[in-house]
Amino acid sequence: MGGITGNVTALRVTVTILVLLAFVPLLHSGYYENLGRGVLMFATLSFGWNILGGYTGYVSFGNVVFFGIGTYTSAALWQHWHQQSIPLAIVCAMVVAVVFAIVLGTPILRLRGHYFAIATLGIALATEEIVANIDWLGAGSGQAIRPLEAFSSYYVAMWIVCAASMLATYLITHSKLGYAFVAIRENEEAAAVLGVNATRYKVIAWAISAAMAAAAGAVFAGANGFIDPPTAFATDDNVFPIVMALLGGVGTVAGPLIGALILTAINETLWSHFPQIHTLFFGAVIVLVVLFLPRGLLWLLNVRGGWRGVVATFGAYRV
Amino acid sequence: MELFAQDLVNGILAGGIFAVVALGFSLVWGIMNIINLAHGAFIMMGAYTSYVLFSTWHLDPFLSIPLAFVVLYVFGYCIQRFVINYVVRAPLLTPFLLTFGLSLLIVNMALFVFHGDTKGITTQYSGSSFSIGPVTVAWTKLWTLVVALAITAVMQAFLTASRTGRAIRAMALDIDAAQLCGVRVSHLYAVVFGLGAGLAGAAGVLISLSYSLQPSMGDPFVITAFVCCVLGGLGTVQGALVGGLVYGVLEAFGSQYIGTGLQDAVALVVLLLVLIVRPRGILGKATA
Repeated sequence: MGGITGNVTALRVTVTILVLLAFVPLLHSGYYENLGRGVLMFATLSFGWNILGGYTGYVSFGNVVFFGIGTYTSAALWQHWHQQSIPLAIVCAMVVAVVFAIVLGTPILRLRGHYFAIATLGIALATEEIVANIDWLGAGSGQAIRPLEAFSSYYVAMWIVCAASMLATYLITHSKLGYAFVAIRENEEAAAVLGVNATRYKVIAWAISAAMAAAAGAVFAGANGFIDPPTAFATDDNVFPIVMALLGGVGTVAGPLIGALILTAINETLWSHFPQIHTLFFGAVIVLVVLFLPRGLLWLLNVRGGWRGVVATFGAYRV
Repeated sequence: MELFAQDLVNGILAGGIFAVVALGFSLVWGIMNIINLAHGAFIMMGAYTSYVLFSTWHLDPFLSIPLAFVVLYVFGYCIQRFVINYVVRAPLLTPFLLTFGLSLLIVNMALFVFHGDTKGITTQYSGSSFSIGPVTVAWTKLWTLVVALAITAVMQAFLTASRTGRAIRAMALDIDAAQLCGVRVSHLYAVVFGLGAGLAGAAGVLISLSYSLQPSMGDPFVITAFVCCVLGGLGTVQGALVGGLVYGVLEAFGSQYIGTGLQDAVALVVLLLVLIVRPRGILGKATA
């Protein structure tokens, strides 16, 4: 699982990428700004998923629910109170999502393994259905949000959200909190015996996850200008971040951003060249990553014994 | 009261399909600890097999069940043998994502071949029904239930009486001990996955008789199968049957009294209640 500290080189490369991404708006190209904002958004979602799925080991298959809550908070602020401010939307979205995570987390985080994964998937589907039935949120037809005149502010906001998520992940990794998360992942009973309040830390991990996803959602809603249940709770936004974390390296600081960058690049290329069958290719990408790179790209930097070491691990889990 | 009786009957009739859907899912999950997210894609493949046979040779869908079973069995066997077996013992996320990726591949392949428009199978007996007092029963749905029960019975007989079935059950009990007794795990895992896929294919044919067809039609059934397994108890034929029937009734009442747009919400509530109140399911045995 890549260890708790991760690879220093990878971290430097990732920070460089992040800094370079900050200059994308200077290109004055709507296309690259959109693309860059997508990378930052998916990286943030992936950082969020990684806190719970990577560090605590609780594989959530419904983190999009917090992204959706973020988008709808942003939309409701404009629809009902005519607030366009991005920082306000981010803060409100994070508060709503954290409350939601704490309320739901207490029963849900008692479940483990497959049960937790499917329950979270159920929450995402159920929340989408429920939102589609609430008139105050525009029900099935959705809500429009008037974007700000200075459109690049959404890019800057998404960059800040992403950088803050990465910084938070880094700080957590090197704190007591991070050690508690990893202890729960490695052996929950042993951690509990040693005095880690597992339930409390799991809920904290989920709340952090939720806050990151909601912040990304709040910015996305403004930039997108329109929100309805299928956009807010999109399957892509649910699964891409998990695959990105896996591709980069689950439970590492740098993994999600690297994964997001590579996967967005692949996805964009496929989309522009083979629009008909691009989801098919995406399925193939998932299968290949899972089969041949189950520990992620960052792991390749740490593997012992060069390419022989890599080959030796292939099939370590076969029967 | 009449409405209540009609809902109850509809629920049981739908429950037969759910039972077959859950049966294959439960087998794969119970024996290999894999949540097969491609189960819905297999169901879709079964339904399209039935559609192709019906539209090309006018083969009655009920007769295409064995063929769909065999096609999906071979397909499932190969997928497990040549793909999933390589990561079957990896941590949960790996097989979970792998089956998700396979599902995307299969569904989009179908989208490419059959396009996204909905298709349907209309037989001469579609739409004919009979009444018992105030309750109306469609013939198709009744026969679907009968066939579903028959499939369940055959499966139960196979697992208890045949040599392969006994080996499969031995593997579920203790994989190392089974291996020492000469069970070829890589082959039998593939057989189990093949059976799971075959049963999904058979369920798909049954579904094609009452629902319309499109490439993503199978996806919602994955959650249904999961809830049925949890409801009835994991890894047994009886558990899948009871879970399917109970869930069918619950869903019929749910859509009548709560609303039709909220199936997933109802399923989630049922799932959480069962997990909190009786985690081993209705028929499940207490485990140490």
